[in-house]
Amino acid sequence: MTTDDLLASYNYDAFVPEKFGPWMRFHESPPLWERAPDFPLWHLDGSETRLSAIFAQNQYTVVEFGSFT
Amino acid sequence: MNAIAAQYAAQKIGSIFLYTHEAHPGEHYPHITSFAQKLRHAQALRTIYGVNRPILVDALDGACHRAYGSMPNMTWIFTRAGLPIYKSDWTDSDSVANMLDYLVTIRQRRRDGERVAPFHVERIDFRTKDQDGFYVGLTRNGSKAVREFDEAFE
Repeated sequence: MTTDDLLASYNYDAFVPEKFGPWMRFHESPPLWERAPDFPLWHLDGSETRLSAIFAQNQYTVVEFGSFT
Repeated sequence: MNAIAAQYAAQKIGSIFLYTHEAHPGEHYPHITSFAQKLRHAQALRTIYGVNRPILVDALDGACHRAYGSMPNMTWIFTRAGLPIYKSDWTDSDSVANMLDYLVTIRQRRRDGERVAPFHVERIDFRTKDQDGFYVGLTRNGSKAVREFDEAFE
């Protein structure tokens, strides 16, 4: 899949099963109690941080994934 | 979830909202085509929905979201070292609070000198189905979002 195809597929333009269904991959998610992958993230002001840097701030961190819609 | 974040913050338990992609794009909040737009939508989550936890935005291609299973409204809990110790394919504040209470209890047992060892457990939790509230949200996205949801599950 090209970068453009990935961007279009992930940011699908309509809630139809053939577009949102392929992204329901909880069964493929990382196992518990094994170091999880780290990624860059951005604050609302556009400044960059990392998931690991967020974790380092507390003993435990609750991460809710979601969006406006 | 805001209330839980506030309730447990003093116990060294942080909370963030990680902004992903539009699950139900509509006329008012369409699918994301640029990072600037993604930042605007994430800001709207704060101003309109009142999310007061730190909001962190994923890359435009959802690299982080995809790596964790890309469900539309899931919650994970991680240790400081980055080990996931709870993952739920749907966000439910009672379920999260239940786990946090347990973690606080385990921490106290350790402080009291008890030796503990991790083990795996699976279970099903139950959430309230607030269909009316859900449709209020869909309507806020635009009539397209309402129509597509109805058609997807009719």
